[in-house]
Amino acid sequence: MEEKAMNRESNVYTILFSAIMVVIFALGLSLIHQTLRPKQIQNENVDTMRQILRSLNIEASAAEAEAKYAELIKNAYLIAPDGSKVVGTEGTQYYDRAFSAISRRDAAGLPVFEANVNGNTIFILPMRGAGMWAPIWGYLAVNADGNTIFGATFDHTSETPGLGDAIATQAFGERYIGKRLFQNGAFTSVSVVKPGASSLRGEDYVDGVSGGTITSRSVGVMMYQSIGAYENFLMNLQR
Amino acid sequence: MAILSGKTKAALLGPLNKDNPVIVQVLGICSALAVTAKLEPAIVMAIAVTVVVALANVIISLLRKLIPTRVRMIVQLMVAATLVAIVSELLKAYAFDVNRQLSVFVGLIVSNCILMGRMEAFALGNGPWPSFLDGIGNGLGYGWILVVLGFVRELFGSGTLLGYQIIPQIFYDAGYQNNGFMSLAPMAILLTGVIIWIHRARNKDLQETE
Amino acid sequence: MEAINLIIRSIFIENMIFAYFLGMCAVLAVSKDFKASIGLGLATLFVMVITVSINYIVVTYVLKEGALSWLGEEFASVNLSVFSLHIFVAVTASFVQVVEMIVEKYAPRLYNQLGIFLPLMAVNCAVVAGSLFMEQREFANIGIAAAYAFGSGVGWMLAIAVMASIREKLQYSHVPKPLKGLGITFIITALVGIGFMSFSGISI
Repeated sequence: MEEKAMNRESNVYTILFSAIMVVIFALGLSLIHQTLRPKQIQNENVDTMRQILRSLNIEASAAEAEAKYAELIKNAYLIAPDGSKVVGTEGTQYYDRAFSAISRRDAAGLPVFEANVNGNTIFILPMRGAGMWAPIWGYLAVNADGNTIFGATFDHTSETPGLGDAIATQAFGERYIGKRLFQNGAFTSVSVVKPGASSLRGEDYVDGVSGGTITSRSVGVMMYQSIGAYENFLMNLQR
Repeated sequence: MAILSGKTKAALLGPLNKDNPVIVQVLGICSALAVTAKLEPAIVMAIAVTVVVALANVIISLLRKLIPTRVRMIVQLMVAATLVAIVSELLKAYAFDVNRQLSVFVGLIVSNCILMGRMEAFALGNGPWPSFLDGIGNGLGYGWILVVLGFVRELFGSGTLLGYQIIPQIFYDAGYQNNGFMSLAPMAILLTGVIIWIHRARNKDLQETE
Repeated sequence: MEAINLIIRSIFIENMIFAYFLGMCAVLAVSKDFKASIGLGLATLFVMVITVSINYIVVTYVLKEGALSWLGEEFASVNLSVFSLHIFVAVTASFVQVVEMIVEKYAPRLYNQLGIFLPLMAVNCAVVAGSLFMEQREFANIGIAAAYAFGSGVGWMLAIAVMASIREKLQYSHVPKPLKGLGITFIITALVGIGFMSFSGISI
């Protein structure tokens, strides 16, 4: 016993013990990570599908999201800066290029999703921008006229609870329905203003979330920049 | 129950009341008050902490005769970090929405003082079974406070429980309004203060005299 | 400019203690004494800025998905974020240890003032939270990350100093018996927190 106690404090034992611990923990954690990874990725994909559906004003549960997505989303592809479809990028599945271009920038172009709701074609454009703290993102559904908004949804990782996080509510997204992105043929986007105020340059506007000034402004900036990149695509639709 | 002798029973039940980690020992308040605005994340957090503390206690207790004293703290931190990382992975795979609500607070379980405190104070000197019960007891003692907070804050803040509407529409028609104040962060800590008040009014021996 | 915004926001609007209640254990333990609380606040500020900066480098160049691409194309898809918690804890704990040894050896007077607080840092929720928020918020560069850590640290120090000065005065007031000590401290923290919420209206 005496010997063992002394042994336990020796340098060799300490280093050996630490090394074995580290190896066991690292292996165990990596194993669990590898086993659970497919399930986690699937969760993320289903979550993205639910958000795309939400921009069409459809609230789907996680279980029914995939079927609903397959039913409504007819096509997806990348578009070049001039608004034309990039050849060979079509496909709506999560392993296709349009879907993966939502989270990771694709050098070939910007993703567009085409949905068919009650016989009308709706175009869904992903948005991404900086919030008050961390990235915010969203999806904007535009009617076939390339101008009026069919629906919108926004999400965030860490806007202020009780204030800025209200941008993720359905009520905020619904404020965008029917607003126009273009005025007199020029892209103006839809701005976010303090409740009660009106827009500066005559463009369409929605009320911001109360108490979330910075977050609201970020949503306006994100839409101006992200949808601005689709300007040529939307102009082509209007012709 | 023969399986729960006097000492092990105390290890399990003490933390629920007179030895409560949060309101008596003042441990582990940090990491989770911010997730109690709704009942569901509060329950998930309570379960996560209970599981992590219990398993960490068992592992440290099993290794207690092997761990070199000099690296004791580091080993404890590594055990804690590994368990928390596993819990976080499981949540991402099986409770995706709740995991998003918990955000960084899952990771913060690692710096929860209860975890380190129990490993250091109990598991290093006791066998695996009492250590397990001690972990469960402390986790639950912490958990019931979270659940009470989540219950009160969601009921009065949003009128719902676990997302289901509880307060009937008639009330709203009659002029009742949700108390949005309850959803704000400071209410979590104010309500904890009130729980301490009630608890100490009933247990006079815990009152501070300074 | 962005860095200054971030500092002001993390001191007043998203204060570690009054908005997230992180690092409360330490506040409750030492905040009866104003001087000690300033000491602990300074130690936290220092440790926070350094560890968040170190962790930022580790996350950006080792852990994040694609972070290892500087090693070669075949490493571009490696994602080690599952180990980030281990790294944060290990960096914090070992940095605290090193600082403690250096301060003890070369500045014994400072050690006597700060030394007792340093070991507490390793498990201070606020320090670990600084690194976790840094990872989640994907700051653009190390300067911004350090500015965030600085702001959070100053905010934490401010908060603990405010709490300490209120509690010093509290000794002369008649608090109901069951609320004495812990209970009233919680309620005061909440009330100051509500006060701090009024900062969330400022636009910068």
